[in-house]
Amino acid sequence: MNANDVAHLQDLRVEVDGRALVDGVSLRLPPGRITALIGASGSGKTTTGLALLGACPRGARVTGEVRVPATTVGYVPQHPATVLNPARPVAALLRDIARTQVRHLPRRARRPAIRQRVLHALAQAQLPDGEALLRRFPHQLSGGQQQRIVLAQALLTGARTIVADEPTTGQDALTKQQIVGQLAALTRQGIAVLLLSHDLEVVRALADDVHVMRDGRIVESGPPERLWLAPRHPWTRDLLAHSPSAQPSDISEPARQNAVLQVRGLTARHRTTTVLHPTDLRLHPGAALAVMGRSGSGKTTLARCLAGLHRAYDGEILLDGTALPPSLRHRTRDQLAAVQYVFQDARAAFDDYRPVVDQVARSAVRLRRVPPPDAMAEAERTLRDLGLPGDLVRRTPGQLSGGELQRAALARALLAHPRVLICDEITSGLDTVTRRSLLTLLSGLPQTHPGLSLVLITHDHDTAALADRIAVLDAGHLVEQGPTGRLRTAPQHPLTAALLQPSPRLSSRLPCSRPRT
Amino acid sequence: MTALWSWPARRLLLGAGQTAAVVLLVFALTEALPGDAAVALAGDQPDPGRIAALREALHLDRPAHERLAAWAAGLLHGDLGRSLTSGRPVSSLLADGFAPTLLLAALTLALLIPAAVGLGVLAARHEGRLADRVISALTLGVYAVPEFALGVLLVALFALRLGWLPPTAVGYGDDLLAHPAALVLPVLVLLSRPVCSLARLIRAGMTDALASPYVAHARRCAIPGSRIRYAHALPNALAPAAQQLARTVDWLLCGVIVVEALFVIPGLGTVLMNAVAERDVPVIQGLALVFGVTAVLLNLGADLVTHRFAPRAAVAA
Repeated sequence: MNANDVAHLQDLRVEVDGRALVDGVSLRLPPGRITALIGASGSGKTTTGLALLGACPRGARVTGEVRVPATTVGYVPQHPATVLNPARPVAALLRDIARTQVRHLPRRARRPAIRQRVLHALAQAQLPDGEALLRRFPHQLSGGQQQRIVLAQALLTGARTIVADEPTTGQDALTKQQIVGQLAALTRQGIAVLLLSHDLEVVRALADDVHVMRDGRIVESGPPERLWLAPRHPWTRDLLAHSPSAQPSDISEPARQNAVLQVRGLTARHRTTTVLHPTDLRLHPGAALAVMGRSGSGKTTLARCLAGLHRAYDGEILLDGTALPPSLRHRTRDQLAAVQYVFQDARAAFDDYRPVVDQVARSAVRLRRVPPPDAMAEAERTLRDLGLPGDLVRRTPGQLSGGELQRAALARALLAHPRVLICDEITSGLDTVTRRSLLTLLSGLPQTHPGLSLVLITHDHDTAALADRIAVLDAGHLVEQGPTGRLRTAPQHPLTAALLQPSPRLSSRLPCSRPRT
Repeated sequence: MTALWSWPARRLLLGAGQTAAVVLLVFALTEALPGDAAVALAGDQPDPGRIAALREALHLDRPAHERLAAWAAGLLHGDLGRSLTSGRPVSSLLADGFAPTLLLAALTLALLIPAAVGLGVLAARHEGRLADRVISALTLGVYAVPEFALGVLLVALFALRLGWLPPTAVGYGDDLLAHPAALVLPVLVLLSRPVCSLARLIRAGMTDALASPYVAHARRCAIPGSRIRYAHALPNALAPAAQQLARTVDWLLCGVIVVEALFVIPGLGTVLMNAVAERDVPVIQGLALVFGVTAVLLNLGADLVTHRFAPRAAVAA
């Protein structure tokens, strides 16, 4: 293989303030193959990927050799929406990219040439009906469409190397499959893909070479089969170990006990669109309910109705038999404390400029009128119990990792002494190790907080396995609910089966046309 | 599509209501002022008999609600009534006053937009460096000077001391365009503060946009720098600027009383001053109607522009 058309890194070291984010990393990205970097968050995956693009964190010192082919390197970030201009239709950047390539043509021929190039790139990125999307603004596209538009931009620049950062994170199982197909299609076009991911199912299904990173170093490399079957490094073994499949508790419904939270005939609207059709749910003290469904199925709207964050609904939500006012503003302090919400994006849920422990203590002060010094002590105790020691929590949120912040968010909700804790996708966006420890923490909550009921909004079957009952939403309709054990063994609805299906399915759908070595 | 069209329609209906409320309020306030057109017309030697005769001739002896109703009935036929003092139709008075005001506003706008965008983009490109600091300091300083003070200062310097420009537009009548020298100082005074506020808004929006991931992404895609600045970053800075611009145009069309008085330009501001001094209620109401409609239309326009450039922001009905 000609060394010139292969992107590679040799002894890359990226250093900020004397601390190495990435140290001694060497990689080759052969065309037509998918190279995966896996590792916990903060292990240096994204820094390595950005180094290939010639981008580095502010104030970083980069040493080592980065060689990329003459063409640009495409980048598909974890959150594609951030790189799409909110004020311009998606066509704007695509046309501008194409415009730089048609300068040699006579003026009149440029416009059709631009159009043809744009449409070709959209088709390459698996957006065959792309023309209709061109006039839309980024916020009018789904996450998957945004991702493919960014991919189309990269392909249009003529990139032969593409860095895909966590492309499947936070996506439901069916969308994941589409992304897997799309990445496989890229390699068939002879494009080299660097996949940064902690989604091990996808990596195993797709990657030709896997590099395991830890603390900025590659600790082990090899084809996925070998790594999964015979990991050599203990860290690899730890990373790849199967998630604890929580024992499906087949305890029958706590009989005729009084429900702490009861939902009767809940119908929620966004403006004039009904996003949640009549739904009935019961949540018993100490029980955990998982609400599953694809993205856009109304899971989060349901949770937001419960928490008083979404007012446009009909029907009743009863807490201990008393109807809750729809809006937060009309709920009493006790009602507010009783239903607590942990958001998917923990970083966005914290104030950037105050120490984490101060923010955690506020919920006790605000919702339970605890004097500030006592609240502080309780906050520190709770945070310590959740694995966040004292010096760490006195920092500002910017200095904590995503997993640590999610624990802090959990502590903040627990400090209100809630009856019901709503966890909205709190494990998506975390790497396996962090996710597993957070799940362990969640499964331990009933022991440490007796009587606390959980509502887990998720599309991840590992998280759902923690629950006693599962409710499945599809396009706003509650299509199935029942004890976890029954839904796992004998699902009635095809969607339930698809969502709860164990992981290895992805590999069976792998397009086999790619040559493997 | 219905949702898209019903929103401006709702806004226009609401605006009609708002304008009606403004006209009513202005009518009530004028009524509440001491004296009326008859007193003003009677002049320095108020003779009670003459005032009473004038009141009767002008129908000012009728109750206020009847006069308002008569005016509103005329409005339905497109008739704004006649001035109490001069007897001319209000519409022709307004049209006469509108010409100089519109001329000043158009000239100011034509200079304002490129100057403000240019300064804002220039400052944002050199964020934190010399050009940015000079522009930011100057715009803040000039913005702090009220227009009458700046007007007096400019007249003293350029008209009286240096004698380069005429101090006022006295004697040029309606044909201001034939005497461009008389327009230089008023337009400069009108420009001074809007340029500063708009440039600072554009600078703030551009700074954010230029530091955003989507601009970094466009750079990675090898788009030329000026194209990125004007076609990709600038649209994000336009939404707040459009709102400010609408307020500025509203001010230029309806409220430049100080500048018109200072430079003796016979625009709408002057018409308003005279009408209030003479308690010429039909003229005042005609002006209130024009100003109300202008404000409603401009703000609707600004919201439509904002909706175009910040489509995610919900626009209040």
